[in-house]
Amino acid sequence: MSQEHLENEYLIYEQERAAMLNNNPSNNGNPLLNQDVEQEIQGPSRTLWGDAWNRLKRNKLAMIAAVYIIFLVLVALTCDLWAPAWLGSPIAIDSGSSAGLSLLPPSAEHPFGTDLLGRDILVRIIYGTRVSLSVGVLAVSISTAIGLVMGALAAYYGGWVDVIVMRLADIFLAFPYILFVIAMLAVIGPGFQNVFIAIGILGWPSIARVFRSAILSVQENDFVSAARALGASDWRIIARHIFPNAVASIVVYATMSIGGAILTESALSFIGMGVTPPTPSWGQMINDGRTYLATAPWIMIAPGLAILTTVLSFTLLGDGLRDALDVKLKDA
Amino acid sequence: MLKYIFKRILQFIPVFIGVTVILFALTNIVPGDPIKLIAGEKSLSPEIELQLRAANHLIKVDENGLPLLDENGEAIPESLAAQYGYYISGLLHGDLGNSYQRKLPVIEIFKEKYPYTIKLALVGIVIEIIIGIGAGMISAIKRYSFWDILVTLTTSILVAMPAFWLGMLLQLLFGIKMKLWTGGGFYLPISGAGGAISEFQDWVHYILPAITLASVSTAYAARIMRSQLLETMNMDYIRTAFAKGLSSRQVIFKHALKNALIPVVTYIGIDFGGMLSGAILTETVFNWPGIGFEVYRAITQRDWPIVMGGVTLVVVVVLIISLVVDISYAFLDPRIRYDKAKE
Repeated sequence: MSQEHLENEYLIYEQERAAMLNNNPSNNGNPLLNQDVEQEIQGPSRTLWGDAWNRLKRNKLAMIAAVYIIFLVLVALTCDLWAPAWLGSPIAIDSGSSAGLSLLPPSAEHPFGTDLLGRDILVRIIYGTRVSLSVGVLAVSISTAIGLVMGALAAYYGGWVDVIVMRLADIFLAFPYILFVIAMLAVIGPGFQNVFIAIGILGWPSIARVFRSAILSVQENDFVSAARALGASDWRIIARHIFPNAVASIVVYATMSIGGAILTESALSFIGMGVTPPTPSWGQMINDGRTYLATAPWIMIAPGLAILTTVLSFTLLGDGLRDALDVKLKDA
Repeated sequence: MLKYIFKRILQFIPVFIGVTVILFALTNIVPGDPIKLIAGEKSLSPEIELQLRAANHLIKVDENGLPLLDENGEAIPESLAAQYGYYISGLLHGDLGNSYQRKLPVIEIFKEKYPYTIKLALVGIVIEIIIGIGAGMISAIKRYSFWDILVTLTTSILVAMPAFWLGMLLQLLFGIKMKLWTGGGFYLPISGAGGAISEFQDWVHYILPAITLASVSTAYAARIMRSQLLETMNMDYIRTAFAKGLSSRQVIFKHALKNALIPVVTYIGIDFGGMLSGAILTETVFNWPGIGFEVYRAITQRDWPIVMGGVTLVVVVVLIISLVVDISYAFLDPRIRYDKAKE
């Protein structure tokens, strides 16, 4: 899922919602789509986040996704404590193959089987969680940070600053995303650190666009003019008045981008431009399975399922947050 | 109309320059001294090094191609702007540099490979148009039906799935398992693009790679089609058409579809570039003899000029396609040229 695709998501969502609101929203047929319908706010109205939490709680898919993500985070944080003791080392290269553990099918002892070097697939998936989640979070943090500054500059100062920043964003978006990342990594070299840096640095334009349009719509409000009349500095107005009002759209966009970054990382590791062995990464494990597709398909099936469920969770959680926070990003 | 096209081309120029500046920087500046990269471990004599630098436009030369020297007898480095000028003119002449490993111009390597990539992408586009638009239409017309839920679920899963993994699952199912189950009676080829040694007709080789390549795009095309059609069906002119007593078939096919299709067609047009870049993954999975597989091989051999050349080629093609799509859009939809010209 590339940057352009994320923007398509917003386009699709806005249109579906418009269609839904114009039409008769009393339809209960489709549980997947019904969340898009504006829900009546229940209970006493509290803060933005309080209301959002109330709405999010009612979205079963988003809650399942959130629980799954929390589970993955816990696994990634604690796996050193229990995983190797249970399933063996994820990176050992000497022990397994000589002991006849090579390419074993799934069994009670090795729930997802073993690979050529006799390493357990499950323990490598568990450790791969670390790589995927940290690449996702770090890359999105970098692109969000750059995007916020660029978007703020463009929206707040307008004029030629706006033109330059937005032109720059156009140039970055003109690249097919994955190719841009590959070109960057061809120059700075593969490896865990370079992967999240490359994905992060090149991902800013979409966030900048989202933040810029969010600021532009907030800026129209009277309280911004009031703050300006009171003599508040530019950055104070951005930080105190505009940012809190635009933060909802950033949260939604960042959540969805994490899934995209995880997919990108897996693709990079698959073609050998990502995380370098022996560090286990899901994309790399799938590539390992290419040679043994006929004899040991379990090598590639489980890591693929891990990617699918993780990315899907971030997308569903992002969808849920978008509905709960009632974010409108039509101009994004 | 002309004004719109002119404007669009004017907008294209800064983007083209920006993109090529970035590619130039990534190819020529960031990796360090290119002469050292060419030489590798070997040490070069000063004369040869000077010749190489002159040939690569790194230092200024006189009209006879001899290096110009300053008063201390040192070569004068060429300015970055001039180096960029040489890079662009090389690019426009199809010069993408030379492969480290195979000592061949990158463009020569790609010349025999690109037809395979283009053909695969075209088949992918056909799948995207038929399945994507079809599924999106069914989904919108029979909203909330079983088929709508099926399409929504499938597209959500497809966009969260690595396409290369889908490709391998297809290989496993239709290539390996199917052969086993039918005792070799029916199965699909999972590697290569056919040719004399293959037991299959050439077109059979396209089935699985093209489905893989088209999967994500098809999912998006279906979703865009669905939402566009739903939005169009809410418009006043559609209500008018119903009020005139037209059947829903007439309303959908004669009135709604034309407007709803425009954004989908644009998406599919622009997505041709996405197909070309997705080809790296798909071609790797299926050992497809195209540009993508060549780039993958170059990555494993650390042959960066081929990687950068492949990226550059696709990026330039994508830029040109998006310009063409935008302009042809103006022919299709009068609203665009009037709106955009007014801006």
